Amino acid sequence: MDCSYFCERLNQYVDGELGYLDVAELQGHLSFCPHCAAELAQLSELRGALAAWGEAELAPPPGFAERVAAAAALEAKPGEATLERVVHDVLDTLDETLGRIPLPGGRTIPVKNVLGYGIAATALLIQLERYLRRTRELKPS
Amino acid sequence: MSASNLHKWATLPDPTAADLARAATGDVDAFKTIVERYQGMVYSVAYNVLGNHTDAEDAAQEAFLRCYRKLPQYRSEATFSTWLFRLALTASVDYQRRERRRPEPVEVPDLAGGQPELGDGITAGTLTAALHDLPDDYRVPTVLRDIYGLPYQEIADLTARPLGTVKVMVHRGRASLRLRLQAEREA
Repeated sequence: MDCSYFCERLNQYVDGELGYLDVAELQGHLSFCPHCAAELAQLSELRGALAAWGEAELAPPPGFAERVAAAAALEAKPGEATLERVVHDVLDTLDETLGRIPLPGGRTIPVKNVLGYGIAATALLIQLERYLRRTRELKPS
Repeated sequence: MSASNLHKWATLPDPTAADLARAATGDVDAFKTIVERYQGMVYSVAYNVLGNHTDAEDAAQEAFLRCYRKLPQYRSEATFSTWLFRLALTASVDYQRRERRRPEPVEVPDLAGGQPELGDGITAGTLTAALHDLPDDYRVPTVLRDIYGLPYQEIADLTARPLGTVKVMVHRGRASLRLRLQAEREA
């Protein structure tokens, strides 16, 4: 029996991304197909192991906190406004306020980037238009 | 990000208001107290995303420095661990996108707590090795999805990849991990 149609849907099933009709169809198949049931069991086991691993606390290397504190001591104090921080804060605030625009294919792009590209393109077009006008004016008639 | 994505980290006690206030004014000793409390969480996130100790230490340090710079902006609507967890994830993914991963032999990380129950025949060593050997393109989305439970759209935003591509990468990452763990079991 060709189970590829159902096997391909196991990931969507465990991610909760199948509609209820698809779930019912898959569960019906799983009830009599030991191959797909075993695939699902393995997939669930893997996801369980990964989730459990996420709960494990790994020990950082010795002296890590001291090194971080030493690096922090070299930084400007948290409240101080350096040029880099002001730029970062403005960009972060724009990101949070304006959000993201969905693009085809599920990609998203921050609105501030779109505005930035738009401003850069407009500046380029204005410069180009000036250059062309000046060239025309200087051209001997 | 919902609390369920944070596993046990959301239950870590917040630093005292006094420690936070002192650290936010540049008191490095108070900040070090915060680092000592949360270093396990931040380092674990960085190690799982990046897959090796050297890069994980750099990314974890970067996460704490971002935390230090942003302390005055922290508002207590979210727990401190939720806020820091998010900074650690972003710093680790940014690091992975920016830096070429350093080749490093697999080394099972030391665990600060007890050994987690990973399932029949799966040990910390086999799982770490299997994750280590996954290509970055598969490992990062798989870690974000299955270890930290991030929604696919959030992973797509963090990694700047199309949603469909992220899903395919997670599915392939899972398939590779399953095959690898099965082979280890049969060996």
